[in-house]
Amino acid sequence: MELQLGLALPTTPFSPFGYELKQGPFHNNGSCSSSSSSSGGSNKRRGGFDEDTRVVPKTLRLLLWNTNQRNGEDDDPNDLDDHSSSAILKNGGEGLVGWPPVKAWRKKLRRHVHNGRANNNRMAAAAAGNNSCGGRAFSNSTYVKVKMEGNAIARKIDLSVHRSFESLTSTLKRMFDISEEQWRKSFKLAYQDREGDWLLAEDVPWRTFIRSLKCIKLVRS
Amino acid sequence: MQKKMAYSFPDEVLEHVFSFIQSVKDRNAVSTVCKSWYEIERWCRRKVFIGNCYAVSPRMVINRFPEVRSIELKGKPHFADFNLVPDGWGGYVLPWIVEMAGAYPWLEEIRLKRMVVTDESLELIAKSFKNFKVLVLFSCEGFSTDGLAAIASGCKSLRELDLRESEVDDLSGHWLTHFPETCTSLVSLNISCLGSDEVSFSALERLVGRCPNLRSLRLNRAVTLDKIANILRSAPQLVDFGTGNYAAELRPDVLSNLVGAFSSCKELKSLSGFWDVVPAYLPALYSVCSRLTSLNLSYATIQSPEIIKLVSHCPSLQHLLVLDYIEDSGLEALASSCKDLQELRVFPSDPFGAELNVSLTEQGLVAVSLGCPKLQSVLYFCRRMTNAALVTIAQNCPNFTRFRLCIIEPKTADYLTLEPLDVGFGAIVEHCKDLKRLSLSGLLTDRVFEYIGTYAKKLEMLSVAFAGDSDLGLHHVLSGCESLRKLEIRDCPFGDKALLANAAKLETMRSLWMSSCTVSFGACKLLGQKMPRLNVEVIDEADPPDSRPESCPVDKLYVYRSVSGPRFDMPPFVWTMDEERKILH
Repeated sequence: MELQLGLALPTTPFSPFGYELKQGPFHNNGSCSSSSSSSGGSNKRRGGFDEDTRVVPKTLRLLLWNTNQRNGEDDDPNDLDDHSSSAILKNGGEGLVGWPPVKAWRKKLRRHVHNGRANNNRMAAAAAGNNSCGGRAFSNSTYVKVKMEGNAIARKIDLSVHRSFESLTSTLKRMFDISEEQWRKSFKLAYQDREGDWLLAEDVPWRTFIRSLKCIKLVRS
Repeated sequence: MQKKMAYSFPDEVLEHVFSFIQSVKDRNAVSTVCKSWYEIERWCRRKVFIGNCYAVSPRMVINRFPEVRSIELKGKPHFADFNLVPDGWGGYVLPWIVEMAGAYPWLEEIRLKRMVVTDESLELIAKSFKNFKVLVLFSCEGFSTDGLAAIASGCKSLRELDLRESEVDDLSGHWLTHFPETCTSLVSLNISCLGSDEVSFSALERLVGRCPNLRSLRLNRAVTLDKIANILRSAPQLVDFGTGNYAAELRPDVLSNLVGAFSSCKELKSLSGFWDVVPAYLPALYSVCSRLTSLNLSYATIQSPEIIKLVSHCPSLQHLLVLDYIEDSGLEALASSCKDLQELRVFPSDPFGAELNVSLTEQGLVAVSLGCPKLQSVLYFCRRMTNAALVTIAQNCPNFTRFRLCIIEPKTADYLTLEPLDVGFGAIVEHCKDLKRLSLSGLLTDRVFEYIGTYAKKLEMLSVAFAGDSDLGLHHVLSGCESLRKLEIRDCPFGDKALLANAAKLETMRSLWMSSCTVSFGACKLLGQKMPRLNVEVIDEADPPDSRPESCPVDKLYVYRSVSGPRFDMPPFVWTMDEERKILH
């Protein structure tokens, strides 16, 4: 694969989100932009990544990534962290991996406390609910806990056999004995990510979901 | 003359003399005096500290020190705390436990930091060491409450179970019931990291009630305020207490009960916990405050006025951990009330928010530096800084041993002069001659590294992010910092030249971490080839690094010295640059 020199990433003023790029003096070694530690990269490992984009020069990939972002096809904004030291882009939430350097544990707890500040009771309840997942204990395990709202018993599901929301939800429907109609009418798929936040699975691409989820909950909508 | 002396001391006498030498460094020194001292020392070494579990193999440790009773191991690099090390990287303790189970049947203490511990490991510990006393799992993960149940039931003389900041799969709160009724030996129990799933409170109460030597108890969030009073009354000998939830509807009877309970604890010196605080319950602590040396309010979302009230009751305070809700005004109050303060850590309440939500600036830190002459250790998150403030702080506190400043927005300049903060940090390293640990932030050029290389001769650990202009920066540090053991760098324009020019230095250090820098794959390979006693690991979750040209920078690089060669438990996204291993791979 021939890498082209193309647009030199750090010195080109370029605002993917309308933020200003802060450019520091920065060495660009050789013919490879620093985006080689790539935003799209980890998806390749997961399989199903579009092979064609590998032929595209590295710098163009940045543009592709940018325009696809709204389509939910590509990575979540957090992947921006790994490429270009000279471009610090914020996403109104967490723009950089591991920055500021606050321990994940502390972030998780802080979230609960911060969100529930106004109402102590709600906080306690939130804490009880939110922390029920504990950690994703086993690095090698692909099993995650699944709970259904209103059902005290948690089940475990093997994520490695699923490649899409369709296959995951059909298994979940079977597991909890929910009909197609019931599902469509009254259930939503929610998950807790590594930061301790609860999110709706329908808002994120599969790859994001898979990578950041710690446990799953079927919530009644 | 020397020969005579060697023969005139029987081994037992030397051993007895050595038994007074506890520090690891001194022990190491003793063992290098001569062969016979090496031999005697290794047989009577009881405590081993291994700062990097991959620097040496379990077998090597066991062969050299056959009679160890206490071991401390550290696994993942520090940046793993901030999600920079992918899951599955390594740091597994099981191989160590397996080997030690056979070799050290009398092992009493295991202390682990940033390691992956499985239930299997815990079960093996419970089964293999009949006299097991102390288990500390600091920032570990990979185990569940089932493993804890095994420890509780299997370790008959357990004294310490400390799970600080670990990630535990909370399968059931009933693991506590596995402590047999005969267990009365607990001295320290820290379960503060456990989730809020129901922890068997009655089992906890009974356990606390039957352990008269319990000195340190840190509860988790599931324990509610009303339960604290009972626990305290059954353990008035506590020296260190971590509350659970400190919130409840204000009820006078609960409050007075709490007041009474706290005042019965005459030895209490350290408090922590305080999730979900209702400020009206804080006065219950006042009876303890005058003796308090350590206070951790870093989870408490109480505002500055309440913090000030509390802190002004604590004249003996030495360690304070707090959120930035304390604000500059709170820090000024701290500076005037707590003259014995040695350590201050201020954490951000809203680290990812773009806006300023609290009035905490460089002024607060300046005030504390002025008012607290014994201040030695600082961790401070803020949003603005000036060189002038840093210079003042440095002049006020020449005794700093740890200075970690995190200006939340990367590359933030001095907000008054718009200059880089080189001069400010330069003042820190120049004035604080005993500085052992430093974390930089803000806008920094190569100049700051020149200062660090010139002055920071006792510096052992340096953390750098979004700083510097060129390889010269890295070169200054590697060539100048004589005591450097750990260097961790992210998002800096440091590349091959400085790394290769200082390759030999890396063998004198524990480890080097570089991520999102400009070190090329080719340079990593060269380093791996030329330095057989270094493990050079490239971490890349995207592609194998050799799928790109050699001049391409690697994503993450972790280099550490090792006498046991490259490890065998690398996941697919970690590549070793060791030539031999690659052939076998």
